[in-house]
Amino acid sequence: MNKRLQVLIVDDEELARRLSLEYLRAHPDLDVIGECETGLEAVDAINKLNPDLVLLDIQMPQLSGLEVLELTRRRSGVIFTTAYDQYALKAFDLHAVDYLLKPYSQQRFDEALGKARKLLTHETSASSLTSPTSSSTQALETLLAQQSEKLQRLLIRDRGQVHVVPLDSIDYVEAQDDYILIHAAGKSYMKTQSLSELEAQLDASKFVRVHRSFLVQINAVQSIEKTSKDSQVAILKSGAQVAVSRAGNERLRALLS
Amino acid sequence: MHPILSDRRRFLVYLIAWMMTGVLIARLLVAADLANWSFALLFSLPLALFGSFLTSSAYFVCRSLPFNRRSFSLAALVFASAALISGLSWLGLCYGWNRVLVLASDDVEVLHLSSHLLVLFFITGFAVYLLALLAFDVYIAFDNIREAERREAASRLLARDAELQVLRSQIDPHFLFNSLNSISALTAIDATAARTMTIALADFFRQTLAIAEKEKISLKDELRLCENFLAVEKIRFGKKLGTEFEVTEEAESALIPPMILQPLLENAIKHGIRNLPKGGLIRVTIFQREGWLHIAVENPVSAEPGNSTGNGLGLVNLRQRFFALYGEQARVSWQRGDEKFTLEMALPFEPNNLL
Repeated sequence: MNKRLQVLIVDDEELARRLSLEYLRAHPDLDVIGECETGLEAVDAINKLNPDLVLLDIQMPQLSGLEVLELTRRRSGVIFTTAYDQYALKAFDLHAVDYLLKPYSQQRFDEALGKARKLLTHETSASSLTSPTSSSTQALETLLAQQSEKLQRLLIRDRGQVHVVPLDSIDYVEAQDDYILIHAAGKSYMKTQSLSELEAQLDASKFVRVHRSFLVQINAVQSIEKTSKDSQVAILKSGAQVAVSRAGNERLRALLS
Repeated sequence: MHPILSDRRRFLVYLIAWMMTGVLIARLLVAADLANWSFALLFSLPLALFGSFLTSSAYFVCRSLPFNRRSFSLAALVFASAALISGLSWLGLCYGWNRVLVLASDDVEVLHLSSHLLVLFFITGFAVYLLALLAFDVYIAFDNIREAERREAASRLLARDAELQVLRSQIDPHFLFNSLNSISALTAIDATAARTMTIALADFFRQTLAIAEKEKISLKDELRLCENFLAVEKIRFGKKLGTEFEVTEEAESALIPPMILQPLLENAIKHGIRNLPKGGLIRVTIFQREGWLHIAVENPVSAEPGNSTGNGLGLVNLRQRFFALYGEQARVSWQRGDEKFTLEMALPFEPNNLL
């Protein structure tokens, strides 16, 4: 059972990483397999190396720690490090996900590692998508859901690149088999997510589900036209046409009136 | 405060008006052939004087019934009975004074008080008093409104002061905790650097406490504060953070609101330098020209859109502070280029004469 654990350190400040490294020396069963300075590097490293444990700073430029989790869909084996983030800390279920408040001591660091070890031996650490019943996974889901309520932009990973799509620029979103296509400002982006999931994260007063497989932004709609007795099409300002179901039509009209 | 009795000029005007009324009554009595001029004046002027004092008491009746605690029926009852008392006392006085005069002049009754005339006197006393009551009531209502407005203006001022205090003392707590974490890391790596950073941090906080209370400080003090702040940040960010200051000697003596430059540097690091893998140079230029103090802060930014956190809230804050302090007399503007962010402000140049 004495398996060696692989650790990734993510923090944009060199001194903060050095401190974690120093504290980790007391734990010979842990191997540091990488250090990342930015959220983008972290996303790549997590996907490539699949570490057992990530020490993750929340407050980082470009991509925050929470956005890193959002993009990698990682839901376990995370210890947050943060200077002071009341908003994020409120969301923690303290028994499930651990976090270290800077500045933290060796003792506090060791406790967090102990907790993480226990969780990791309980969970199958082989895949980063753990069983949905684990408490830490749930706590993280809650945290990310709360975080996404104040979502201002969508993050889309595509072949090692991260695209940042401002919500205002989205025209419509289309569901395909097991992914969605986001059409924004003349470009299309693919994301592995269900349409309902995305819909839950977006502002319901701006985005309407007009069809089983279409979600449109109200401001992008030019007009609604009838094509036959009970089927309509929404014509967008970009010229695109989106099928509108009967229920979708009612929702749309309710918002437009 | 009685609006008439407490003001000598108003009181004088009020008395003269009543005397004119007395003359008018005399004139009417003469015209109606009820008395001759000298007797009519002798009769009516003291009455007018009495009437003036009687009527001025209406103010206290109104004050005894504050607007927020009166029902219409109660007010009507009180007003009517007060007017009735006034009418009766006026009537009694007319009658009594007339008797006194008649007895004093030892003459036959010169003014014959018919029942018609008495009813007229009563109605006059009643009506004048009622009018006075209504007039005072309106006056008090206006006074209350004015008072409320004054209070509101005062509370607005207080609120603005409080707001200024809040805007002033916004040191990012992240800065403190991250710095302490850096010091904690340095103790094992480079003890001297840890000590240097501790002292710079302490100096920085001590200075913010010292100047945050003040309305204006000299630019020199603000620059010293920025130096300590940057000393801390340079240890945190290492080679990534470069700074360049160009400040004319004349500008250094200028008086400015405290904590206007430091938050700008913080912004430049947070939204500029920190997002660049190689970091960059923050350039600060300050000079005085034609009675204005010009301050410009320039820093490189990443072309990628950054985090959505802090949508220029600090800058809006700064603008509000300037507006509260200088009204239209100051200007803050910023522009974001592809790779450069520039912030410029201009405020009235106030030399510090104590230097």
